[in-house]
Amino acid sequence: MTEEKIPDYKKDKKRVDGRKMDELRPISIKVGVLPNADGSAYLEWGQNKVYAAVYGPREALPKHTQNPYKAVVKVTYRMATFSVPERKQPRPNRRDMEISKVLGEALTKVIFTEQFPNTEIGVYVEVVDSNAGSRVACLTAASCALANAGIPMKDLVAATGIGKAFGELIVDLNKDEEDAPDAVDIPFGIMPNSGEIVLLQMDGLLTKEEWAKLVPLGMKACADVYAVQKKALQEKFSLSEVSEKNVEAVVEAKVKQEKADTKTEKKDQADKKSAGSVKPGVLQQVKAKKVRK
Amino acid sequence: MKRIVIPGEMVSDQRKRLGGNVFVSDGKIYSKVLGISDESDEKASVIPLEGKYFPQAEDVVMGVVSRVVFAGYGININSFTESFIPRSAMREDLRVGDLVSSKISYVNELREAELGFPRRMFGGDVIEVTPVRTPRLIGKNGSMLELLKQGTGADIIVGKNGRVWARNGNLDLLRKVVMFINDNSYKSNLTNSVEAFFKAEGIQINIAPKGEKTNNAAEESEVLEANAEESEVLGGAESEELN
Repeated sequence: MTEEKIPDYKKDKKRVDGRKMDELRPISIKVGVLPNADGSAYLEWGQNKVYAAVYGPREALPKHTQNPYKAVVKVTYRMATFSVPERKQPRPNRRDMEISKVLGEALTKVIFTEQFPNTEIGVYVEVVDSNAGSRVACLTAASCALANAGIPMKDLVAATGIGKAFGELIVDLNKDEEDAPDAVDIPFGIMPNSGEIVLLQMDGLLTKEEWAKLVPLGMKACADVYAVQKKALQEKFSLSEVSEKNVEAVVEAKVKQEKADTKTEKKDQADKKSAGSVKPGVLQQVKAKKVRK
Repeated sequence: MKRIVIPGEMVSDQRKRLGGNVFVSDGKIYSKVLGISDESDEKASVIPLEGKYFPQAEDVVMGVVSRVVFAGYGININSFTESFIPRSAMREDLRVGDLVSSKISYVNELREAELGFPRRMFGGDVIEVTPVRTPRLIGKNGSMLELLKQGTGADIIVGKNGRVWARNGNLDLLRKVVMFINDNSYKSNLTNSVEAFFKAEGIQINIAPKGEKTNNAAEESEVLEANAEESEVLGGAESEELN
Protein backbone atom coordinates (compact mmCIF):
# COMPACT_ATOMS: atom_id res chain seq x y z
CA MET A 1 0.00 0.00 0.00
CA THR A 2 2.87 2.36 0.82
CA GLU A 3 4.06 2.59 -2.78
CA GLU A 4 0.58 3.13 -4.14
CA LYS A 5 -0.81 6.59 -4.34
CA ILE A 6 -3.16 7.31 -1.44
CA PRO A 7 -6.54 8.30 -2.87
CA ASP A 8 -7.98 11.71 -2.10
CA TYR A 9 -11.76 11.65 -2.19
CA LYS A 10 -12.08 15.45 -2.20
CA LYS A 11 -10.22 15.56 -5.54
CA ASP A 12 -11.32 12.25 -7.07
CA LYS A 13 -15.07 12.71 -6.45
CA LYS A 14 -15.21 8.92 -6.67
CA ARG A 15 -14.39 6.13 -4.25
CA VAL A 16 -11.84 3.32 -4.64
CA ASP A 17 -14.51 0.94 -5.86
CA GLY A 18 -16.17 3.56 -8.09
CA ARG A 19 -19.09 4.35 -5.82
CA LYS A 20 -20.48 7.79 -5.06
CA MET A 21 -19.89 9.13 -1.54
CA ASP A 22 -23.42 8.29 -0.36
CA GLU A 23 -23.86 5.09 -2.32
CA LEU A 24 -24.31 1.65 -0.75
CA ARG A 25 -22.82 -1.56 -2.04
CA PRO A 26 -25.47 -3.76 -3.71
CA ILE A 27 -27.70 -5.53 -1.16
CA SER A 28 -29.88 -8.58 -1.66
CA ILE A 29 -31.90 -10.36 1.02
CA LYS A 30 -33.80 -13.64 0.94
CA VAL A 31 -35.95 -14.76 3.86
CA GLY A 32 -37.02 -18.23 4.95
CA VAL A 33 -33.90 -19.96 3.69
CA LEU A 34 -33.33 -22.34 6.63
CA PRO A 35 -36.19 -24.85 7.02
CA ASN A 36 -35.30 -25.90 10.56
CA ALA A 37 -35.29 -22.38 12.00
CA ASP A 38 -38.46 -20.52 13.04
CA GLY A 39 -37.29 -17.62 10.91
CA SER A 40 -34.23 -17.04 8.78
CA ALA A 41 -32.63 -14.71 6.28
CA TYR A 42 -29.67 -14.71 3.92
CA LEU A 43 -28.10 -11.42 3.05
CA GLU A 44 -25.47 -10.41 0.54
CA TRP A 45 -24.08 -6.93 0.95
CA GLY A 46 -21.21 -6.29 -1.40
CA GLN A 47 -18.80 -9.07 -0.54
CA ASN A 48 -20.44 -9.71 2.85
CA LYS A 49 -22.47 -12.89 3.02
CA VAL A 50 -24.48 -13.51 6.15
CA TYR A 51 -26.97 -16.09 7.39
CA ALA A 52 -29.32 -15.25 10.26
CA ALA A 53 -31.51 -17.79 12.04
CA VAL A 54 -34.11 -17.19 14.73
CA TYR A 55 -35.34 -19.81 17.16
CA GLY A 56 -38.11 -19.13 19.59
CA PRO A 57 -39.51 -17.62 21.67
CA ARG A 58 -38.66 -20.74 23.61
CA GLU A 59 -38.16 -21.61 27.24
CA ALA A 60 -34.94 -20.00 28.44
CA LEU A 61 -32.61 -22.56 29.89
CA PRO A 62 -30.73 -22.71 32.25
CA LYS A 63 -33.52 -21.33 34.37
CA HIS A 64 -31.53 -18.54 36.00
CA THR A 65 -31.29 -16.78 32.62
CA GLN A 66 -35.07 -16.32 32.58
CA ASN A 67 -36.63 -12.97 33.23
CA PRO A 68 -40.19 -13.23 34.53
CA TYR A 69 -41.07 -9.85 32.99
CA LYS A 70 -39.73 -10.17 29.46
CA ALA A 71 -38.00 -12.30 26.89
CA VAL A 72 -34.22 -12.44 26.69
CA VAL A 73 -32.82 -11.80 23.23
CA LYS A 74 -29.71 -13.91 22.87
CA VAL A 75 -27.64 -13.12 19.82
CA THR A 76 -24.69 -15.25 18.76
CA TYR A 77 -22.44 -13.62 16.19
CA ARG A 78 -20.00 -15.97 14.57
CA MET A 79 -17.53 -15.64 11.75
CA ALA A 80 -16.71 -18.67 9.69
CA THR A 81 -13.01 -19.52 9.70
CA PHE A 82 -12.87 -18.90 5.95
CA SER A 83 -14.74 -15.58 6.02
CA VAL A 84 -11.56 -13.49 6.25
CA PRO A 85 -8.27 -13.65 4.31
CA GLU A 86 -6.32 -14.97 7.30
CA ARG A 87 -7.99 -17.97 8.96
CA LYS A 88 -10.11 -16.86 11.90
CA GLN A 89 -9.77 -18.82 15.09
CA PRO A 90 -13.19 -20.46 15.51
CA ARG A 91 -13.39 -19.82 19.24
CA PRO A 92 -15.47 -16.75 20.12
CA ASN A 93 -13.10 -13.91 20.84
CA ARG A 94 -13.55 -10.54 22.50
CA ARG A 95 -14.84 -8.94 19.30
CA ASP A 96 -17.42 -11.66 18.65
CA MET A 97 -18.79 -11.40 22.17
CA GLU A 98 -18.98 -7.62 21.98
CA ILE A 99 -20.84 -7.71 18.68
CA SER A 100 -23.25 -10.35 20.01
CA LYS A 101 -23.97 -8.06 22.93
CA VAL A 102 -24.57 -4.85 20.98
CA LEU A 103 -26.69 -6.61 18.36
CA GLY A 104 -28.77 -8.17 21.13
CA GLU A 105 -29.33 -4.78 22.70
CA ALA A 106 -30.31 -3.24 19.37
CA LEU A 107 -32.83 -5.99 18.64
CA THR A 108 -34.26 -5.91 22.18
CA LYS A 109 -35.28 -2.32 21.45
CA VAL A 110 -37.62 -3.35 18.64
CA ILE A 111 -39.07 -6.61 19.96
CA PHE A 112 -42.10 -6.59 22.24
CA THR A 113 -40.16 -8.64 24.77
CA GLU A 114 -42.71 -8.13 27.54
CA GLN A 115 -45.13 -10.37 25.64
CA PHE A 116 -42.96 -13.41 26.26
CA PRO A 117 -41.99 -13.71 29.92
CA ASN A 118 -39.49 -16.39 30.90
CA THR A 119 -38.51 -17.07 27.32
CA GLU A 120 -35.47 -16.66 25.15
CA ILE A 121 -35.33 -15.55 21.54
CA GLY A 122 -32.25 -17.12 20.03
CA VAL A 123 -30.73 -15.24 17.10
CA TYR A 124 -27.76 -16.83 15.39
CA VAL A 125 -25.87 -14.85 12.80
CA GLU A 126 -23.13 -16.51 10.80
CA VAL A 127 -20.75 -14.52 8.63
CA VAL A 128 -19.72 -16.66 5.67
CA ASP A 129 -17.80 -13.98 3.79
CA SER A 130 -16.84 -10.54 4.96
CA ASN A 131 -15.43 -7.27 3.75
CA ALA A 132 -16.05 -4.56 6.37
CA GLY A 133 -19.45 -3.76 7.85
CA SER A 134 -20.33 -7.31 8.78
CA ARG A 135 -22.02 -6.30 12.03
CA VAL A 136 -24.46 -3.98 10.30
CA ALA A 137 -25.08 -6.66 7.70
CA CYS A 138 -25.81 -9.10 10.52
CA LEU A 139 -28.18 -6.68 12.23
CA THR A 140 -30.06 -6.06 8.99
CA ALA A 141 -30.34 -9.79 8.30
CA ALA A 142 -31.30 -10.60 11.89
CA SER A 143 -34.21 -8.17 11.90
CA CYS A 144 -35.52 -9.72 8.68
CA ALA A 145 -35.21 -13.18 10.22
CA LEU A 146 -37.14 -12.00 13.29
CA ALA A 147 -39.96 -10.68 11.11
CA ASN A 148 -39.91 -13.95 9.18
CA ALA A 149 -40.29 -15.82 12.48
CA GLY A 150 -43.47 -13.84 13.20
CA ILE A 151 -42.12 -12.23 16.33
CA PRO A 152 -44.02 -9.03 17.28
CA MET A 153 -41.83 -5.99 16.71
CA LYS A 154 -42.20 -2.22 16.81
CA ASP A 155 -40.15 -1.84 13.67
CA LEU A 156 -37.40 -3.46 11.68
CA VAL A 157 -33.80 -2.44 12.21
CA ALA A 158 -31.94 -1.07 9.23
CA ALA A 159 -28.25 -0.53 9.66
CA THR A 160 -25.28 0.65 7.66
CA GLY A 161 -21.73 1.79 8.20
CA ILE A 162 -21.10 5.52 8.04
CA GLY A 163 -17.89 7.46 8.53
CA LYS A 164 -14.98 9.19 6.93
CA ALA A 165 -12.11 8.05 4.75
CA PHE A 166 -9.55 9.78 2.52
CA GLY A 167 -10.86 13.19 3.56
CA GLU A 168 -14.55 12.83 2.77
CA LEU A 169 -17.68 11.77 4.64
CA ILE A 170 -18.96 8.50 3.20
CA VAL A 171 -21.51 5.77 3.69
CA ASP A 172 -21.00 1.99 3.89
CA LEU A 173 -17.21 1.75 4.13
CA ASN A 174 -15.42 -1.16 2.53
CA LYS A 175 -12.21 -2.74 3.80
CA ASP A 176 -9.87 -0.36 1.94
CA GLU A 177 -11.67 2.65 3.35
CA GLU A 178 -11.75 1.18 6.83
CA ASP A 179 -7.96 0.88 6.66
CA ALA A 180 -7.48 4.47 5.45
CA PRO A 181 -5.12 6.60 7.57
CA ASP A 182 -7.88 9.03 8.57
CA ALA A 183 -10.65 6.43 8.74
CA VAL A 184 -13.64 6.85 11.00
CA ASP A 185 -16.01 3.89 11.06
CA ILE A 186 -19.43 4.13 12.70
CA PRO A 187 -21.83 1.18 12.65
CA PHE A 188 -25.19 2.92 12.57
CA GLY A 189 -28.49 1.13 13.13
CA ILE A 190 -31.90 2.80 13.27
CA MET A 191 -35.58 2.03 13.49
CA PRO A 192 -36.50 3.42 10.06
CA ASN A 193 -40.07 4.51 10.83
CA SER A 194 -39.33 6.47 13.98
CA GLY A 195 -35.70 7.33 13.23
CA GLU A 196 -34.55 6.14 16.64
CA ILE A 197 -30.93 5.04 16.80
CA VAL A 198 -30.43 1.55 18.21
CA LEU A 199 -26.80 0.88 17.33
CA LEU A 200 -23.98 3.39 17.41
CA GLN A 201 -20.31 2.71 17.87
CA MET A 202 -17.31 4.70 16.69
CA ASP A 203 -13.66 4.21 15.85
CA GLY A 204 -11.69 7.41 15.22
CA LEU A 205 -12.38 11.09 15.59
CA LEU A 206 -14.90 13.46 14.00
CA THR A 207 -15.60 17.15 14.48
CA LYS A 208 -19.03 18.28 15.60
CA GLU A 209 -19.77 19.71 12.14
CA GLU A 210 -18.80 16.47 10.43
CA TRP A 211 -21.01 14.50 12.80
CA ALA A 212 -23.96 16.80 12.08
CA LYS A 213 -23.51 16.21 8.37
CA LEU A 214 -22.98 12.48 8.72
CA VAL A 215 -26.16 11.54 10.61
CA PRO A 216 -28.63 12.64 7.86
CA LEU A 217 -26.40 10.79 5.39
CA GLY A 218 -26.74 7.64 7.50
CA MET A 219 -30.50 8.05 7.87
CA LYS A 220 -30.88 8.27 4.12
CA ALA A 221 -28.72 5.20 3.55
CA CYS A 222 -30.69 3.23 6.15
CA ALA A 223 -33.89 4.15 4.34
CA ASP A 224 -32.43 2.47 1.25
CA VAL A 225 -31.56 -0.61 3.30
CA TYR A 226 -35.09 -0.64 4.72
CA ALA A 227 -36.59 -0.64 1.22
CA VAL A 228 -34.62 -3.79 0.40
CA GLN A 229 -35.72 -5.45 3.66
CA LYS A 230 -39.35 -4.62 3.03
CA LYS A 231 -39.25 -6.02 -0.48
CA ALA A 232 -37.56 -9.21 0.70
CA LEU A 233 -40.22 -9.82 3.36
CA GLN A 234 -43.16 -9.09 1.08
CA GLU A 235 -42.10 -10.84 -2.11
CA LYS A 236 -42.76 -14.31 -0.67
CA PHE A 237 -46.48 -13.61 -0.53
CA SER A 238 -48.68 -12.40 -3.34
CA LEU A 239 -52.37 -11.85 -2.72
CA SER A 240 -53.59 -13.57 -5.85
CA GLU A 241 -56.40 -16.08 -6.11
CA VAL A 242 -55.90 -19.81 -6.13
CA SER A 243 -57.33 -21.80 -9.01
CA GLU A 244 -58.10 -25.49 -8.96
CA LYS A 245 -55.46 -26.03 -11.63
CA ASN A 246 -53.02 -24.64 -9.14
CA VAL A 247 -53.96 -27.28 -6.58
CA GLU A 248 -53.82 -29.99 -9.20
CA ALA A 249 -50.40 -28.98 -10.43
CA VAL A 250 -48.94 -28.90 -6.94
CA VAL A 251 -50.40 -32.24 -5.95
CA GLU A 252 -49.31 -33.85 -9.21
CA ALA A 253 -45.81 -32.50 -8.85
CA LYS A 254 -45.62 -33.91 -5.34
CA VAL A 255 -46.89 -37.31 -6.53
CA LYS A 256 -44.25 -37.35 -9.25
CA GLN A 257 -41.60 -36.37 -6.80
CA GLU A 258 -42.62 -39.08 -4.40
CA LYS A 259 -42.51 -41.69 -7.15
CA ALA A 260 -39.00 -40.59 -8.03
CA ASP A 261 -38.04 -40.81 -4.41
CA THR A 262 -39.25 -44.37 -3.98
CA LYS A 263 -37.20 -45.35 -6.99
CA THR A 264 -34.01 -43.85 -5.67
CA GLU A 265 -33.86 -44.58 -1.98
CA LYS A 266 -36.30 -45.67 0.63
CA LYS A 267 -34.33 -44.03 3.36
CA ASP A 268 -34.54 -40.66 1.65
CA GLN A 269 -38.29 -40.91 1.48
CA ALA A 270 -38.60 -41.73 5.14
CA ASP A 271 -36.69 -38.57 5.93
CA LYS A 272 -38.90 -36.48 3.69
CA LYS A 273 -42.07 -37.86 5.19
CA SER A 274 -40.91 -37.16 8.67
CA ALA A 275 -40.26 -33.59 7.63
CA GLY A 276 -43.85 -33.02 6.53
CA SER A 277 -45.57 -35.26 9.02
CA VAL A 278 -44.39 -36.88 12.16
CA LYS A 279 -45.67 -40.26 13.20
CA PRO A 280 -45.99 -40.97 16.89
CA GLY A 281 -43.07 -43.38 16.69
CA VAL A 282 -40.77 -40.80 15.17
CA LEU A 283 -41.97 -38.13 17.56
CA GLN A 284 -41.10 -40.42 20.39
CA GLN A 285 -37.52 -40.52 19.25
CA VAL A 286 -37.38 -36.78 18.70
CA LYS A 287 -38.84 -36.02 22.10
CA ALA A 288 -36.60 -38.55 23.78
CA LYS A 289 -33.62 -36.74 22.33
CA LYS A 290 -34.91 -33.42 23.57
CA VAL A 291 -35.42 -34.80 27.05
CA ARG A 292 -31.88 -36.13 27.18
CA LYS A 293 -30.56 -32.66 26.41
CA MET B 1 -57.93 -3.25 -0.07
CA LYS B 2 -55.81 -5.98 1.39
CA ARG B 3 -52.09 -5.67 1.52
CA ILE B 4 -49.06 -7.30 3.10
CA VAL B 5 -47.66 -5.29 5.98
CA ILE B 6 -44.34 -5.71 7.75
CA PRO B 7 -43.57 -4.96 11.40
CA GLY B 8 -43.71 -1.23 12.08
CA GLU B 9 -45.68 -0.42 8.95
CA MET B 10 -48.67 1.84 9.39
CA VAL B 11 -52.02 0.06 9.27
CA SER B 12 -54.17 3.13 9.69
CA ASP B 13 -53.74 6.79 10.60
CA GLN B 14 -57.34 7.08 11.73
CA ARG B 15 -58.92 6.22 15.03
CA LYS B 16 -60.27 2.70 14.74
CA ARG B 17 -61.23 -0.20 16.91
CA LEU B 18 -58.09 -2.21 17.62
CA GLY B 19 -57.85 -5.80 16.50
CA GLY B 20 -55.00 -8.23 16.89
CA ASN B 21 -51.30 -7.69 16.25
CA VAL B 22 -51.32 -3.91 16.14
CA PHE B 23 -50.01 -1.20 18.43
CA VAL B 24 -50.69 2.51 18.76
CA SER B 25 -48.04 5.17 18.66
CA ASP B 26 -48.79 8.90 18.41
CA GLY B 27 -52.44 8.17 17.65
CA LYS B 28 -51.58 6.08 14.61
CA ILE B 29 -51.93 2.34 14.30
CA TYR B 30 -48.99 0.18 13.30
CA SER B 31 -48.53 -3.52 12.63
CA LYS B 32 -46.57 -5.69 15.02
CA VAL B 33 -46.00 -8.59 12.66
CA LEU B 34 -45.62 -9.63 9.06
CA GLY B 35 -49.18 -10.17 7.94
CA ILE B 36 -52.22 -9.13 5.96
CA SER B 37 -54.10 -5.96 6.75
CA ASP B 38 -57.42 -4.84 5.34
CA GLU B 39 -57.87 -1.09 5.14
CA SER B 40 -61.59 -1.24 4.39
CA ASP B 41 -62.20 -3.17 7.62
CA GLU B 42 -63.76 -1.11 10.40
CA LYS B 43 -61.34 -2.74 12.82
CA ALA B 44 -57.60 -2.16 12.49
CA SER B 45 -56.06 -5.60 12.68
CA VAL B 46 -53.36 -7.72 11.09
CA ILE B 47 -53.66 -11.42 10.30
CA PRO B 48 -50.23 -12.91 10.92
CA LEU B 49 -48.56 -14.98 8.22
CA GLU B 50 -45.87 -16.54 10.37
CA GLY B 51 -45.48 -17.25 14.02
CA LYS B 52 -45.49 -19.61 16.91
CA TYR B 53 -48.53 -20.92 18.70
CA PHE B 54 -49.96 -18.67 21.42
CA PRO B 55 -51.97 -20.83 23.79
CA GLN B 56 -55.47 -19.51 24.39
CA ALA B 57 -58.24 -20.83 26.58
CA GLU B 58 -60.76 -23.07 24.78
CA ASP B 59 -58.27 -24.06 22.05
CA VAL B 60 -58.20 -27.70 21.05
CA VAL B 61 -54.58 -28.79 20.84
CA MET B 62 -52.64 -31.93 19.98
CA GLY B 63 -50.02 -32.59 22.61
CA VAL B 64 -47.16 -35.04 22.66
CA VAL B 65 -46.03 -36.63 25.89
CA SER B 66 -42.49 -35.41 26.37
CA ARG B 67 -41.84 -36.41 29.96
CA VAL B 68 -43.25 -38.88 32.45
CA VAL B 69 -42.86 -38.21 36.15
CA PHE B 70 -44.46 -39.70 39.25
CA ALA B 71 -47.22 -37.10 39.44
CA GLY B 72 -48.14 -37.06 35.77
CA TYR B 73 -47.02 -36.20 32.27
CA GLY B 74 -45.25 -33.27 30.67
CA ILE B 75 -46.99 -32.43 27.41
CA ASN B 76 -45.42 -30.59 24.51
CA ILE B 77 -48.13 -28.45 22.92
CA ASN B 78 -45.81 -26.64 20.52
CA SER B 79 -45.86 -23.57 22.76
CA PHE B 80 -43.14 -21.81 24.76
CA THR B 81 -43.63 -23.91 27.83
CA GLU B 82 -44.49 -27.49 28.57
CA SER B 83 -47.97 -28.26 29.92
CA PHE B 84 -48.79 -30.82 32.54
CA ILE B 85 -51.45 -33.48 32.89
CA PRO B 86 -51.74 -35.11 36.31
CA ARG B 87 -51.76 -38.90 36.34
CA SER B 88 -55.21 -38.82 37.94
CA ALA B 89 -56.71 -37.15 34.85
CA MET B 90 -55.91 -40.08 32.60
CA ARG B 91 -57.56 -43.44 32.80
CA GLU B 92 -54.64 -45.23 31.19
CA ASP B 93 -50.90 -44.78 31.53
CA LEU B 94 -49.12 -42.67 28.91
CA ARG B 95 -45.65 -43.10 27.53
CA VAL B 96 -43.22 -40.63 26.04
CA GLY B 97 -44.27 -39.96 22.43
CA ASP B 98 -47.98 -40.67 22.92
CA LEU B 99 -50.38 -38.25 21.30
CA VAL B 100 -52.98 -36.53 23.47
CA SER B 101 -55.77 -34.26 22.32
CA SER B 102 -56.90 -31.72 24.84
CA LYS B 103 -58.69 -28.47 25.37
CA ILE B 104 -56.88 -25.62 27.04
CA SER B 105 -58.82 -24.65 30.15
CA TYR B 106 -56.73 -21.75 31.38
CA VAL B 107 -53.68 -19.75 30.36
CA ASN B 108 -51.83 -17.77 33.00
CA GLU B 109 -49.85 -14.55 32.63
CA LEU B 110 -46.69 -16.50 31.84
CA ARG B 111 -48.50 -18.17 28.93
CA GLU B 112 -48.44 -21.52 30.66
CA ALA B 113 -51.43 -23.56 29.55
CA GLU B 114 -53.54 -25.82 31.72
CA LEU B 115 -55.02 -28.72 29.84
CA GLY B 116 -58.50 -30.10 30.32
CA PHE B 117 -60.31 -33.12 28.90
CA PRO B 118 -57.19 -34.99 27.85
CA ARG B 119 -57.80 -37.88 25.50
CA ARG B 120 -55.21 -40.23 24.15
CA MET B 121 -55.28 -40.53 20.35
CA PHE B 122 -54.82 -44.02 18.98
CA GLY B 123 -53.21 -44.61 15.61
CA GLY B 124 -53.54 -42.08 12.86
CA ASP B 125 -51.04 -39.65 11.50
CA VAL B 126 -49.94 -36.15 12.38
CA ILE B 127 -49.36 -33.41 9.80
CA GLU B 128 -47.48 -30.40 11.10
CA VAL B 129 -48.51 -27.01 9.75
CA THR B 130 -47.82 -23.39 10.66
CA PRO B 131 -49.96 -22.72 13.75
CA VAL B 132 -51.20 -19.28 12.67
CA ARG B 133 -52.55 -20.77 9.44
CA THR B 134 -54.83 -23.40 11.01
CA PRO B 135 -57.97 -21.21 10.69
CA ARG B 136 -57.65 -21.69 6.94
CA LEU B 137 -57.74 -25.49 7.39
CA ILE B 138 -61.03 -25.18 9.24
CA GLY B 139 -62.59 -22.57 7.00
CA LYS B 140 -65.67 -20.52 7.55
CA ASN B 141 -68.18 -22.54 9.57
CA GLY B 142 -65.81 -25.48 9.24
CA SER B 143 -66.33 -25.63 5.49
CA MET B 144 -62.76 -26.53 4.61
CA LEU B 145 -62.55 -29.20 7.32
CA GLU B 146 -65.77 -30.77 6.10
CA LEU B 147 -64.40 -30.69 2.56
CA LEU B 148 -61.17 -32.40 3.58
CA LYS B 149 -63.08 -35.06 5.50
CA GLN B 150 -65.31 -35.84 2.53
CA GLY B 151 -62.57 -35.57 -0.04
CA THR B 152 -60.19 -37.95 1.64
CA GLY B 153 -62.54 -40.00 3.80
CA ALA B 154 -60.35 -39.34 6.82
CA ASP B 155 -61.24 -38.54 10.41
CA ILE B 156 -59.53 -35.23 11.06
CA ILE B 157 -58.93 -33.12 14.13
CA VAL B 158 -57.19 -29.81 13.65
CA GLY B 159 -55.15 -28.86 16.68
CA LYS B 160 -54.80 -25.09 16.97
CA ASN B 161 -51.14 -25.61 17.80
CA GLY B 162 -50.39 -26.62 14.22
CA ARG B 163 -50.77 -30.37 14.52
CA VAL B 164 -53.41 -31.96 12.33
CA TRP B 165 -54.34 -35.46 13.36
CA ALA B 166 -55.92 -37.79 10.81
CA ARG B 167 -56.87 -41.42 10.65
CA ASN B 168 -58.35 -43.71 7.97
CA GLY B 169 -58.98 -42.47 4.47
CA ASN B 170 -56.50 -41.33 1.88
CA LEU B 171 -53.85 -39.80 4.11
CA ASP B 172 -51.31 -39.26 1.34
CA LEU B 173 -53.77 -37.12 -0.57
CA LEU B 174 -54.78 -35.36 2.62
CA ARG B 175 -51.20 -34.52 3.47
CA LYS B 176 -50.65 -32.96 0.06
CA VAL B 177 -53.83 -30.92 0.15
CA VAL B 178 -53.17 -29.78 3.73
CA MET B 179 -49.65 -28.71 2.85
CA PHE B 180 -51.03 -26.89 -0.19
CA ILE B 181 -53.49 -24.99 1.99
CA ASN B 182 -50.69 -24.24 4.42
CA ASP B 183 -48.46 -22.88 1.68
CA ASN B 184 -51.24 -20.77 0.13
CA SER B 185 -53.05 -19.71 3.27
CA TYR B 186 -52.76 -16.02 2.41
CA LYS B 187 -54.62 -16.35 -0.89
CA SER B 188 -58.34 -16.08 -1.41
CA ASN B 189 -60.75 -18.58 -2.99
CA LEU B 190 -59.06 -21.56 -1.31
CA THR B 191 -62.12 -23.61 -0.37
CA ASN B 192 -63.69 -23.34 -3.80
CA SER B 193 -60.54 -24.39 -5.59
CA VAL B 194 -59.95 -27.34 -3.27
CA GLU B 195 -63.55 -28.42 -3.77
CA ALA B 196 -63.15 -28.17 -7.53
CA PHE B 197 -59.94 -30.16 -7.26
CA PHE B 198 -61.64 -33.00 -5.38
CA LYS B 199 -64.47 -33.04 -7.90
CA ALA B 200 -62.00 -33.20 -10.76
CA GLU B 201 -60.43 -36.20 -9.05
CA GLY B 202 -63.82 -37.90 -9.20
CA ILE B 203 -64.56 -37.66 -5.49
CA GLN B 204 -68.17 -37.04 -4.52
CA ILE B 205 -68.61 -33.94 -2.40
CA ASN B 206 -71.83 -32.82 -0.84
CA ILE B 207 -71.46 -30.27 1.87
CA ALA B 208 -73.83 -31.03 4.73
CA PRO B 209 -76.10 -28.27 5.97
CA LYS B 210 -74.92 -26.30 8.94
CA GLY B 211 -75.65 -27.47 12.46
CA GLU B 212 -75.31 -31.16 11.65
CA LYS B 213 -74.23 -33.12 14.67
CA THR B 214 -70.73 -34.47 14.72
CA ASN B 215 -70.17 -37.61 16.74
CA ASN B 216 -66.89 -36.42 18.14
CA ALA B 217 -66.89 -34.03 21.07
CA ALA B 218 -63.49 -32.60 20.28
CA GLU B 219 -64.37 -32.06 16.65
CA GLU B 220 -67.62 -30.40 17.50
CA SER B 221 -66.03 -27.88 19.78
CA GLU B 222 -63.38 -27.42 17.12
CA VAL B 223 -65.94 -26.45 14.52
CA LEU B 224 -67.77 -24.15 16.90
CA GLU B 225 -64.55 -22.39 17.67
CA ALA B 226 -63.76 -22.19 14.04
CA ASN B 227 -66.93 -20.23 13.55
CA ALA B 228 -65.93 -17.66 16.09
CA GLU B 229 -62.29 -17.64 15.07
CA GLU B 230 -62.90 -17.51 11.36
CA SER B 231 -65.11 -14.48 11.38
CA GLU B 232 -62.55 -12.80 13.59
CA VAL B 233 -59.46 -13.79 11.76
CA LEU B 234 -60.34 -13.82 8.13
CA GLY B 235 -62.89 -11.08 7.92
CA GLY B 236 -64.46 -10.97 4.49
CA ALA B 237 -61.84 -13.23 2.97
CA GLU B 238 -64.20 -16.04 2.21
CA SER B 239 -67.49 -14.24 2.01
CA GLU B 240 -68.11 -15.77 -1.39
CA GLU B 241 -68.09 -19.17 0.24
CA LEU B 242 -70.98 -18.54 2.55
CA ASN B 243 -73.46 -20.20 0.25
